[in-house]
Amino acid sequence: MPTLLELQRAMRASLVDRYDGPAAAMLAEHVPADRLNIYRNTFITGVTKALRLSYPAVHRLVGNDFFEGAAALFIAQHPPSAAYLDEYGADFPQFLRGFQPAAALEYLADVARLEWAVNRAIHAADVEPLDLARLAALSPEDQVRVCFVPHPSIALLCADHPVDVIWRGVLGGDDAALAAVDLKAGPVALLVAHGAAGVEVSRLDAAAWRFAAALCEGRPLSDVFAECPHPTLPRERGRVGWGHEVWLAEHLAAGRFIDFRLASCDATGLTASSEAVP
Amino acid sequence: MPPAATNPPRPIPVKPGIGLRFQHHQAVLDVRPDVAWMEVHTENYMGGGTPLRYLDAIRRDYPISLHGVGLSLGSAEGLDAAHLERIRRVAERVEPALMSEHIAWSIANGTYLADLLPLPMTEEALAVVCRHVDQVQNHMKRRILVENPSTYLRFRHSTIPEWEFMAAVAARTGCGILCDVNNIYVSAHNHGWDASTYLAALPAAAIGEIHLAGHSVRPLPDGSTLRIDDHGSHVIAEVWALYREALARFGPVPTLIEWDTDVPPLDVLLGEADHAGALLASAEQEARRADAA
Repeated sequence: MPTLLELQRAMRASLVDRYDGPAAAMLAEHVPADRLNIYRNTFITGVTKALRLSYPAVHRLVGNDFFEGAAALFIAQHPPSAAYLDEYGADFPQFLRGFQPAAALEYLADVARLEWAVNRAIHAADVEPLDLARLAALSPEDQVRVCFVPHPSIALLCADHPVDVIWRGVLGGDDAALAAVDLKAGPVALLVAHGAAGVEVSRLDAAAWRFAAALCEGRPLSDVFAECPHPTLPRERGRVGWGHEVWLAEHLAAGRFIDFRLASCDATGLTASSEAVP
Repeated sequence: MPPAATNPPRPIPVKPGIGLRFQHHQAVLDVRPDVAWMEVHTENYMGGGTPLRYLDAIRRDYPISLHGVGLSLGSAEGLDAAHLERIRRVAERVEPALMSEHIAWSIANGTYLADLLPLPMTEEALAVVCRHVDQVQNHMKRRILVENPSTYLRFRHSTIPEWEFMAAVAARTGCGILCDVNNIYVSAHNHGWDASTYLAALPAAAIGEIHLAGHSVRPLPDGSTLRIDDHGSHVIAEVWALYREALARFGPVPTLIEWDTDVPPLDVLLGEADHAGALLASAEQEARRADAA
């Protein structure tokens, strides 16, 4: 008599690896082995649907049949581990990058990366933004020691193709925008965050992206100010407020940080790790 | 026995409720339908964002039941502690009047198999399920209900009838039973059981909720049919009849209409709930008559 563990491992081999032998041998008399297909189909259909919900633009770009084929291979290699399927599929962009039949769509994996960031932002926990009064209460010496904790919805990503335009065009059914996409236009730097109007994908210039990335990594403010390049556009253009402080103010106003800590001072400079600030 | 619940929220009334799906979030807020309570799938509210905000708004007016579909109470390798904790956090936020799960399993070798898979009906499986129900009730600090599944196959080495298995889980752990009447009908058809025998073997005092749903019928090559629990259509007449039988045996019980595939407009669900409501009302009259006699 098989143990429960043996039975469940045999069923897993049947459903995921399509290896029916051991499970079929455990079925009651008069229960045909093709009944296993019912559970296998539910497994594949359910998990494929979860992927389709997380990657709607990839689904539209490649079409349903292609998507289902790619998903079946991906699911066999990376099956889900828990019933919380909103968190399933993080490896799909990397899988698509190595998926030979999709090689002609050179931007596909990067669109998938953007969709995963959007998906994470959609399902991110609702957290109150940082109370700015807490920052204002710090002394100027302490203010430069601030290391921010980013909102859980935030992602910063770079791509070789204008995937933000492709993503919006595909989901909005905007053929004109898609026709106008210049794949050779060079890399894009993107910020994904949950804003007032839902999930927002914004394009940043290279310097602003690096600045935001350094802040979101939790680097001390003084380091970020010292190491990040200043805006790429010259101040002489007459616009007020091109600079680190204005970028920082924008992030704060948009609620992109939820907390901060103060970096400790030692002989080699500031290290981000220490004191929590109530 | 489960620990005593701390400060239980508004109870689920002995009336019909509906399964709340994303498609109806806005409609429920707009229409405020005349239905006594709602049930949601716990796993759909584990992240933040829009779904949870809708549920926060809806639960102000309707008692909520949290129905889990992925804890895998029957997994030999143990419960996923992270998932159990996710469920506890949803419960903390939603303050459900009821919580339930299934007599089934979904996880093997760390892989989630995205379905409620059948258990072999053995003493070993019974011990595993009871251990896990105890663990859940201790973690949640409350009693839960466990639901009988629809199944499409059985195992050679099963020794316990499913209805006895259900009754034993309730007796050993103090949990309640969520009696899915459609599932009894479907499994009885698929395995050649007698649905009335199944109902008669369940302990009436443990029944905390009833589920009703539609199912589909798949023809098999040998001319017979397999019934598939797809929650994609109206409750059929035979299941309504079995529901009347269940009410006669258990007395009036909160009853939920589930519809998960090809989800129809809200009105269609409310129509099904009204029908259940009429049958519940006559069961209540019967119960009063019996008390008076």
